[in-house]
Amino acid sequence: MLNRISNTIFSSGRKSLASDGETLTSVRRHQPDHWLLIECLILLAIGLALIYSISPALADTTGVSGSYYIVRQVIAVALALVAFFITYKFPIAKWRAYYKWLLAAAALCTLIAIVLPVNPNYPAHRWVRFAGFSFESVELLIFALLVWFAHFLAVRIKNGTITNFTKTIRPILGVLLIIAGIVAIIQSDLGSTGVIVAMMGVMLFVAGIPLKRIMIIAAVIVGLVIISVIAFPYRLARIETFLHPTSNCQTTGYQACQAMIAVGSGGISGLGLGSGVQAYGYLPEADNDSIFAIYAEKFGFIGSIILLILFAGLFWRMAKISEGAPDDFSKLIVVGALVWMSTETLINIGAMIGLLPLKGITLPFISYGGTSVVFFAASLGLVYQVSCYTPRVSLKDLKRIRRRAASDDYSSYGRRIRGAYHSDLGGRG
Amino acid sequence: MPESFKPDLSTVTGRIRFWSSLIILALIIFGIRLFYVQVIRYAHYKQAALNDQLKQYQIPATRGIIEAEDGSSDVPIVLNQKLYTLFADPPFIKHPYSVAQQLSKIIGGNPDSYLPALTAKNTQYSIIAYKLTGAQNQKITALNDPGLGTQGQDYRVYPDGSLAAQVLGFVNNQGVGEYGVEQALNPILSGKPGMLKAITDINGVPLAASKENTQIAPTPGSNVVLTLNLGIQQQVESILAKEYKATKSQELSAIVMDPYNGHIKAMANYPTYNPADYANVSNPKLFQNYAVDYPIEPGSVMKTLTTSAALNSGAITANESFYDPAHWVIDGFNIHDISIDGGAREQNIQSILALSLNTGATWMLMQMSHKGGTQINAHGIETWHNYMVQHFLLGQTTGIEQGYEASGYVPPANLNDPSINLRYANTAFGQGVSITAIQLISALSSVLNGGTYYKPTLIDKIISPSGKVSVNKPKVEERNVVSPWVGRELEPLMEGVVKAYLQGGFSFMNFPANYIVGGKTGTAQVAKPTGGYYSNIYNGTYIGFVGGDTPQYVIVVYNIKPNTPGYAGSYGGQPVFADIAHMLINEGYVTPKE
Repeated sequence: MLNRISNTIFSSGRKSLASDGETLTSVRRHQPDHWLLIECLILLAIGLALIYSISPALADTTGVSGSYYIVRQVIAVALALVAFFITYKFPIAKWRAYYKWLLAAAALCTLIAIVLPVNPNYPAHRWVRFAGFSFESVELLIFALLVWFAHFLAVRIKNGTITNFTKTIRPILGVLLIIAGIVAIIQSDLGSTGVIVAMMGVMLFVAGIPLKRIMIIAAVIVGLVIISVIAFPYRLARIETFLHPTSNCQTTGYQACQAMIAVGSGGISGLGLGSGVQAYGYLPEADNDSIFAIYAEKFGFIGSIILLILFAGLFWRMAKISEGAPDDFSKLIVVGALVWMSTETLINIGAMIGLLPLKGITLPFISYGGTSVVFFAASLGLVYQVSCYTPRVSLKDLKRIRRRAASDDYSSYGRRIRGAYHSDLGGRG
Repeated sequence: MPESFKPDLSTVTGRIRFWSSLIILALIIFGIRLFYVQVIRYAHYKQAALNDQLKQYQIPATRGIIEAEDGSSDVPIVLNQKLYTLFADPPFIKHPYSVAQQLSKIIGGNPDSYLPALTAKNTQYSIIAYKLTGAQNQKITALNDPGLGTQGQDYRVYPDGSLAAQVLGFVNNQGVGEYGVEQALNPILSGKPGMLKAITDINGVPLAASKENTQIAPTPGSNVVLTLNLGIQQQVESILAKEYKATKSQELSAIVMDPYNGHIKAMANYPTYNPADYANVSNPKLFQNYAVDYPIEPGSVMKTLTTSAALNSGAITANESFYDPAHWVIDGFNIHDISIDGGAREQNIQSILALSLNTGATWMLMQMSHKGGTQINAHGIETWHNYMVQHFLLGQTTGIEQGYEASGYVPPANLNDPSINLRYANTAFGQGVSITAIQLISALSSVLNGGTYYKPTLIDKIISPSGKVSVNKPKVEERNVVSPWVGRELEPLMEGVVKAYLQGGFSFMNFPANYIVGGKTGTAQVAKPTGGYYSNIYNGTYIGFVGGDTPQYVIVVYNIKPNTPGYAGSYGGQPVFADIAHMLINEGYVTPKE
């Protein structure tokens, strides 16, 4: 059964994905999917409003000025918009061509973060600090891995070696081991490791790796996770806390309990933007990991559902864009970006409502912290670029149009397609 | 997209849709979970939030001040001063060394001594210094360091230092009065604290207005004006300090009372302490107001009360004489005089008091038993007991506004007690009965003022926070203690005692002729805790009065275990009385005879 499916995938993958040599520049470009940008801007605005409203509370507990957080977040959002337009405008084929430079930059940053002395308040080798700003190396690493892995898989799809153990699976396992060693063990960042694993796993899945092999990789990963949990007992405590979130409210479960209190006390309509209490020292990481709970306290069930819908809409559009992406590389880029964002969103929110353990993961576009916002915006910029090359009508419609075009007046329908490109059409209309 | 829920994993699009459907499914589950947490379980989490966030604070009420008469006006003797506690929020102290330098410039002291509090770990509240002045507080606030904070708190200040320390008592660091007026009038002085219920941040700092916030304003305490005359009080205290040394006393107390209304004009104890510094007093006995909380066997001063009772009951007359056998044998025991010039001979009421004849006091009890007889019987015992307890209100607290007042002890008239006669023969001259100085002075005042027992009081008036003045009217406890003529007869008898001592060589008992001064000494044996009496330790007591046409001040002296040659009453109690009486006359507090 598995074999049959994987074979089908293999053949259809080859058929459906554009050949490796093609570049988007040869495809007629149309307007990008504006909803992507609009949803992103709405989320950024929500994030800014939240950070603005809790800025004084945060300053109260850390001793900085009341405007410290909001000023820094405004700068971060400005940088994020710049990053978005760079990745949007800079041709995606060029990104692919320069993947080695991206990997090199990520490796350098990671090395610096590991070598630099740590801040005693955050004793983890995760940040590169300069001129009062700090840069989280893992965000660049994920971005670089996204570009590299899309390229890696696209090449193997083209060569037909996607299921080859030596050429594909073994290198992937090797990379995962290296990442586990650096990110999970040296940087103690199991959350980001999970995001990387999920991103690469789903990209593999979409690229057409047979389920059986994915199972093998998954088994290896589960083994690694178990080892790292045993090696770092505080993770075990987090999992225990997760299983019994309210039994240790004064100790290990404190943040989980306070998050649930923040969410629950928001009620149906929330306390209002200016009225939350939990940010005043009760809920740790109010600006960051816990920001969804702060949002839910202020805007209640209605606001929370609206936020979930915003994220769902963003993810759904990204999924649609990936379906319509004109080549393997861009399709995998969009899928990777989608998995990256959605995994962080789900882990972050899930922890705040007592469904998942706390992982130290940011909420995309909302959480305080420049690096996260900049790289989510950058990856969304890539998706935005890809959206310029998707068909404007569904695949089913296109097939119907093609059938009718073959039997009827071809040219009149061609105008309706407006030059939208899809390899299924077998060429440009 | 119905097909997305039946994904075809054999195509790329199918796999993408499968994955994106999982994401949407997870978000839908989150939505359901949010409905459960925010809508269904809202009340639970709201309560949990309030449990953490809603804190209740007491807003302390300003304590009333205490004033006393000084000349013609009332002046404060206990005031409040807002002093400040300085604390650090150590995580906010960025440069502990420079902060320590700044603090030492403002507060003084070695900068290094501030470092431990400034750098304390795992706390957001570590106390650096107490009792900073308003000026120091302003300077510290001007530093504008987010890691430093001050908290104002009212402290009692005493412009006159240790003046009337035991009468005033002190206020402990919980704001509760201890000892003295502060304890007895704590409810009036302390007022009613207000309450603030507010949503706060995690450090308990109230946040901006919320509908859960409630506030009840505190009601300040009332001010109290004491009956003390500060001039007399000061003089009495310096006399006690001087006589304490001169008589090698262990403890010396005195009271000056106005017999016509029960007002205490002075009440003092030595040694003493400064209430502002109560926390550093190692010996809690210094807090005690011996004048009200230390009953002793008073000794022969009791003869004034026995005489009054015998006169009023008709058992004796003031100028009666009798044959003193120098000793009585009662229940097989000898009652004999301690006076050196005793001996069996004819004596009278005056000489009973002047020579302090114990046989005379016993004789008076015999007359109360059966006039003309020389036996003690049930009638005499019951009469004497009735006068002491029902008329002079001994054996019970007077209700003076002081903490820890003692009630003393009058042995019950238990006729089944085989040695009741002996016991009462002794109580008649002040042994085997214990009374406090305030009981003694109140009882004798009631005789001298014509028979009205006023409740002794330290409170002249109480001024409410709104300014309403309630004058503490003299409270009559007992109207016909004795007939008015008893006081008029006792007065010259007590004056006779003073004259006898003057003639006996006690030159300090010489008073100007236009004043009346009377008194009675008491030399009391001190009971051992194990039973019986010490052979060489005595308490010296004295009760007396000074006046012009009438007695104007009654004075009592309790000198605990003085070390003097001769009788403790004559040499330990009497000189203190004499000093106070001379002072009252010399300073013009007494109106001389017309």
